[in-house]
Amino acid sequence: MDILSRIPQLLVYGVISGSILSLGGIGVSLIYSIIGFSNFAYGDMMALGAYIALGLFSLFVSWSIPNTPLGPLSFGFGFILAAIFAIGLTAVAVVLIDRILFNRLRSHSSVILMMSSIGVALALRNILQFFWGPQPHYYIERIQIATVIPGLGIRIKPDQVFIILVTIVLVVLVHAFLKYTKMGKAMRATADNNALARVTGINTDRVIVWTWVIGGALAATAGILAGIENKFITPELGWQMLLSIFAAVVLGGIGNPYGAIVGGMVIGITEEVSTAFIPTGYKPAVAFIIMILMLIVKPTGLLGKRR
Amino acid sequence: MSLLTVNAVTSGYGDMEILHGVSIEVGAGKIVTVIGPNGAGKSTLMKTIFGLLTPTAGQITFAEKEITGLSPDLVVRRGMAYVPQVENIFPSLTVNENLEMGAFILTDDFSGQMEEIYQLFPILNDRRKQRVGKMSGGERQMVAMGRALMLDPKLLMLDEPSAALAPNLAATIFERIVAINASGVAILIVEQNAKESLKVSDRGYVLASGRNRFEDTGENLLANQDVGQLYLGG
Repeated sequence: MDILSRIPQLLVYGVISGSILSLGGIGVSLIYSIIGFSNFAYGDMMALGAYIALGLFSLFVSWSIPNTPLGPLSFGFGFILAAIFAIGLTAVAVVLIDRILFNRLRSHSSVILMMSSIGVALALRNILQFFWGPQPHYYIERIQIATVIPGLGIRIKPDQVFIILVTIVLVVLVHAFLKYTKMGKAMRATADNNALARVTGINTDRVIVWTWVIGGALAATAGILAGIENKFITPELGWQMLLSIFAAVVLGGIGNPYGAIVGGMVIGITEEVSTAFIPTGYKPAVAFIIMILMLIVKPTGLLGKRR
Repeated sequence: MSLLTVNAVTSGYGDMEILHGVSIEVGAGKIVTVIGPNGAGKSTLMKTIFGLLTPTAGQITFAEKEITGLSPDLVVRRGMAYVPQVENIFPSLTVNENLEMGAFILTDDFSGQMEEIYQLFPILNDRRKQRVGKMSGGERQMVAMGRALMLDPKLLMLDEPSAALAPNLAATIFERIVAINASGVAILIVEQNAKESLKVSDRGYVLASGRNRFEDTGENLLANQDVGQLYLGG
């Protein structure tokens, strides 16, 4: 089979992994622009969400909450309920981490915050490994048959359609929140000019808490969706995606959540399409090369900082 | 009656003391200008009054209550608003959103106040949905003043409102300042190029090297030959 005929299929895979990268990218971007540092713990916050969902799901199974697959999906009500609670709990956990650690370091430079986030990353990953071990845990045991889209010859699984739809819904929700709610506007104002936000009387501490709530919820969602796509999770799940997420954020323009969506899609698609030409193992290198090229050519990213 | 009293305030950045005991007073409903050369401590004085810097000595009293060392978010609630010299707008927000942010601490309806501000600055009225980052210097200054007025403050502090503006625009801004004052808001202005500002001021102070140098009515300072030669460019 020649290379070119595989590209439409790889584009679809790219959109799926791009969806997950976009969600993570929005979170990283909001935290960077409002709280002011690159959060290296973001990948492990994703893994935390995925594992909380796993724990809740097994709990719900033991309570015999039904999980008969919903329509063509490979999971049911029990799993979705576990995921929703996990998203909320991750948001709470992330706010706690902020109160215990980041909030106390806020008066220091952003480098200190960034370094401490590397510590949080290691701690989270090892806590997950301590409780669940390094081996993969399966979210979904059953095999799902991909549907062929007639005419195009592209294969896609119902679970993958679910991932894309969830991403679209969340992107619309985050956009509406930033654009139309008082807190969303205050978040954009704080990202624009933190000092003026304080002078204006905006409660920037509350803005920071809300940023962590949204960032944590998006991290958990991205982690759970990655688990659905891979069918299993490991404690390394998020850390392995972090480079691609950072690349997406840099590509789209650091600090611009809309750029992170564009960047996530471009990185996701490029990584997948690259496998037609080079071995799959080089996928992360592709993200890295795109990030370096962007930093050399246009350090402000595709969409730049919104001014 | 005195609205704001700054009494022998010493302040600065870290170990660097910039104000060595400065005293000024702003009467309710008055316009007061503080002038002085670059580095005299004018902006430091503003930041100290507003709680962005903590004084090491002296007292600040506002509306008969001491506010020395109070943080900016609390000072705002007491009825004082501050327009910094630079970066005084939210560039990626629209005009309307900038004004809304000015009313952040309010929980009740502020649309009446917003309409009054649009009447005060009709040029902004046509551009409510425009992003402020794309607007001209004069328009940005109006947005910044409008944002500060959203809480209907007793005192509006303006740091070099006419800096970097073309002379005709500066005149427009001072005209608006007088209009704002006419609605009962006291105004404290610091200015480097201060003739325009002193013309509209009830009172003026000259600051030099972090100390009070002269103090008089606006008119008298303009007429004072020493002040004219030293600080108003002859």
